[in-house]
Amino acid sequence: MQFIIHWSNVIFKPIINLGAAPMMLIVLTLIAWAIGVKFSRALEGGIKLAIALTGISDVINLLTGEYSTALQAFVKSTGINLSITDLGWAPLATITWGSPYTLFFLALLVIVNLIMLALKLTDTLDVDIFDVWHMSFTGLMAIFFGANLLTATLLVIFIGVMKIFNSDLMKPTFNDLLDNWDNPMTTTHLNYMMNPVIMVFNKLFDVLFPWLDKFDFDAAKLNEKIGFWGSRFAIGCYLGVFIGLMSRQSVKEIFTLMFVAGACLELFSIIGSWFIASVEPLSQGVTDLANKRLHGRVLNIGLDWPFIAGRAEVWAAANVLAPIMLLESLVLPGNRILPLGGIIAMGVTPALLVVTRGRLIRMIVIGAIELPIFLWLVPCPRHSLLRWLSRLVPSLRTWVATKKLLNPLRKVLWSNSWATCLVKAKVAI
Amino acid sequence: MTVKILAACGAGVNSSHQIKDALESEMKKRGYDVKCDAIMIKDLNEDMMSHYDIYAQIAKTDMSFTPKIPVVDAGAILYRMPAMSKPVFDKVESIIKSEGLS
Repeated sequence: MQFIIHWSNVIFKPIINLGAAPMMLIVLTLIAWAIGVKFSRALEGGIKLAIALTGISDVINLLTGEYSTALQAFVKSTGINLSITDLGWAPLATITWGSPYTLFFLALLVIVNLIMLALKLTDTLDVDIFDVWHMSFTGLMAIFFGANLLTATLLVIFIGVMKIFNSDLMKPTFNDLLDNWDNPMTTTHLNYMMNPVIMVFNKLFDVLFPWLDKFDFDAAKLNEKIGFWGSRFAIGCYLGVFIGLMSRQSVKEIFTLMFVAGACLELFSIIGSWFIASVEPLSQGVTDLANKRLHGRVLNIGLDWPFIAGRAEVWAAANVLAPIMLLESLVLPGNRILPLGGIIAMGVTPALLVVTRGRLIRMIVIGAIELPIFLWLVPCPRHSLLRWLSRLVPSLRTWVATKKLLNPLRKVLWSNSWATCLVKAKVAI
Repeated sequence: MTVKILAACGAGVNSSHQIKDALESEMKKRGYDVKCDAIMIKDLNEDMMSHYDIYAQIAKTDMSFTPKIPVVDAGAILYRMPAMSKPVFDKVESIIKSEGLS
């Protein structure tokens, strides 16, 4: 074992020491090349990933640098401590793709999906390679909170299997929502793992407030009326004004906060798209490989969630939930998050659409009840979470603690850069 | 002449960019000069659409207006299977020809 660790260190340590961006350039290029992508395409993806990692880190620095003084003044003048800035999903995806663990989890999840298909446990082929970062993030968080690699891997596989079963279960619903029964579209997005919780609230709604449904309004018309006022940069500007006024900044400083938040939210999204481009060769390579193994079997295709983004209710509910989220963040006891990048709650509204079948009032009411879960989770102290996990699965924790088999692999894969980035960004999902 | 196509998805980052890349590269292979923009679907409005020649949607999109440009269902591009994305490219090509966009 010592031999493996020694040689792992000799080979991988110099690469890890280069930092996250050069390391991922090398790793992503080599892996994409290894699965059959043309070298120049693989290298292009690797360089784009390195650029995205560098870009996102600089934008985070810009935002946190500009807001740190104002947020301290905000706490002083209001007594409300919203010291954690929510940057939305794009920086988090970037940081997570900056860890070699993500490629490790990706390989495992592709194999698990193929095994499930071979055993006819599912009809879904997951081609949404990019969003594997959701599971990877969960695994990395587990490791960050003290789990070993085996526990984290088991957790990732468990969630991976559940999301594929979930996509099979949702398929008829998507056909109905899209009014198209011949398409193979479904989704493996983790958004929809919230369905069971929403279903409970939906049932309660059936019993307690069925009469509220008759107040549903035209979602497309509402979205049209809101127009650019609900766009990313506009929301960044509102937050800048809000923080500036509450922290009693000068007019000049308020304008700066406005424009920096607006610019950063736009930049997060632009850099997010570099990312998609960077993993595109890998995504195509993995899908080609999987298709080859399936010999042309007709399947449902697991995509990213937005094939139902054309439903206006998704955005009408998100538009109404944005100010509700801000209000909840101010009054919720124990909350420390300032909603910013994720204030357009598109991580919540697709599942609401699927369960409520687009009944808007239900989507808004259940969404408002659900949002505190997200606000409360982030400031959850590490020791509380660990204590809670220990109570929940004491035997599993003891069992995995005695297993050292995967430690050499962990040493190779784990780089401090990911953890440092995460702490620095103080990201919220 | 450049053919301008609009693609839209949830965040204007993932699915719409896949459609954009696929359309631009395939149409280039077929000899057309195509420029595709990817946006967040909630930012889509009548004025924006009036600046494009074709709207490539992933699936049916609820709009408060009736699009005045041809709409193509481009969701099949996301399956990453050439046999399934070919009809989408064919459809785009036939619109370019029939509307005299190129």
